[in-house]
Formats: sequence, C-alpha cells, structure tokens
Amino acid sequence: MTTPHNENMSNKETMVIVLLDGPYISQYADIGYTMAKSALNLGYGVKIFLYMDSVHIPRKDQNPRDFPNISQNFAKLIKKGCEIKACVRCAAARGYTDQSHYLEGVEITSVYNLAEWMDENSKVVMLGS
Amino acid sequence: MSSSLIIIDKAPYGHENALSGIYIAIASLDKGHNSDVLLMGDGVYAAQKNQSAEKTIVYPSVSELIYSLFPNGTLFVHLDSLTQRGMKYEDLVEIAELIDNKTLYNLSKSKKHLIKI
Repeated sequence: MTTPHNENMSNKETMVIVLLDGPYISQYADIGYTMAKSALNLGYGVKIFLYMDSVHIPRKDQNPRDFPNISQNFAKLIKKGCEIKACVRCAAARGYTDQSHYLEGVEITSVYNLAEWMDENSKVVMLGS
Repeated sequence: MSSSLIIIDKAPYGHENALSGIYIAIASLDKGHNSDVLLMGDGVYAAQKNQSAEKTIVYPSVSELIYSLFPNGTLFVHLDSLTQRGMKYEDLVEIAELIDNKTLYNLSKSKKHLIKI
C-alpha cells in the first residue's frame, strides 16, 4: 500500500535511514525515530529501510515495560508521511512472510528498493551495529 | 548517476552484515549506480579464497557472492587491515584490489553515499 505524502515537505532532499538492529537491544531504532521526526518537521522527505534484525521494529502489539514503544512511534512517522519498507529476505527469515504482523503502511519489499532510494537527491544514514 | 561505497568491517558468517552489504552492492549495481565494496577491519576475511561455508555451516559463500560485483563494481581490500591480520594478496579472491589510505580517501570523496554495514 502507499503511504501518505508528507504535506509539509518543502525540500527536494530526502533522508534515507537504514536500520540494522532490532528494537530495544540497542538505541538505534529510537535514534532513527528521532532523526526521522526532526527531518519531517523540517520539511524533508524521509524514507526508512528496515534491514536485517530491524525488520522486527514495526511488529504490531509490542508491549515494552521499560522502553518507549517503538512500534507506536513508527506509526506516528507513517502518519507524517514517512515511507517505511522492510527487506523481504530479512523479514521472511524471521517469520514475517506477509504484512499481517506489521503496522499498516509498512511494505515488505526487496533490497532493490533501497538501491532505488540511493539516488542523487537522497542522503543515506546507516544506523546499527 | 548515483554512486556508493559499501564498507564492510565485520567478518563473514559471524554476523549477517557482510552478506547483507554485498546484497546492497549487487542491487545498486543492478540499478546502474557506480558502486564499489570496501573490505576493512575484520571485513577483509570476506575476500579470503577457498571458503567452504556452504558445505560446513550451510551459509551462502560470501567469497563466491563477491564475484557478482564483477565487472561493474570493484572489490577493494584495505591494505593496512590485510597486513595487520597476517594475510597476503595471494590469499584473496582474484577480483580483489588492494587499496591504501590515500587512494581510499580519494575514493570516499568521489562517492555520493558511504554505506557502512
């Protein structure tokens, strides 16, 4: 499905955030969320590609007791127009064979989509260990 | 045309990173980007020839996958990292090219995206 366009987007430049770690095991997902939120508020386009263990991030019904709920935060990004895609190879390996376990708006796709995002108007930021 | 340097600094098989980095490089080359791979730190082990991951631990052989970069992409191996690990050019797959720090600096400057994985 398509994600809503960021109506505040006034800059042509897009920040592409590639996440590598799962939620809670490191702070990278939270850092990625904060960066994405800031960039969206500044009018930039933001795309997030979930690679390797980060495909766990948009899983629905997370209930962390001690941490911010990363899934709910990513849902806020989607509402603001952030495009979020998950690597199909990584997702399938971890049991996400379809999008039913994911937040609405997260698309399972191939790494070739990440390559398409790596264009002249984007800046890629890798976050993960 | 966009360009990228995918930097791999983790050994193959111990982590998924090396395999995943090469997949990014293959995909971006397929999209017509000017993309290369740099192995540095423990990442240099990914270029060691005669790996047997498929037969032993049933993982895809990273050293065989590397050949998919050829001929449009280049596999650079950081010379200092190789030397520090007691390895030699002769230990590497045929498509590997050694790169010193000065050349690496110029290569990095020439790329739009630096993808460290």
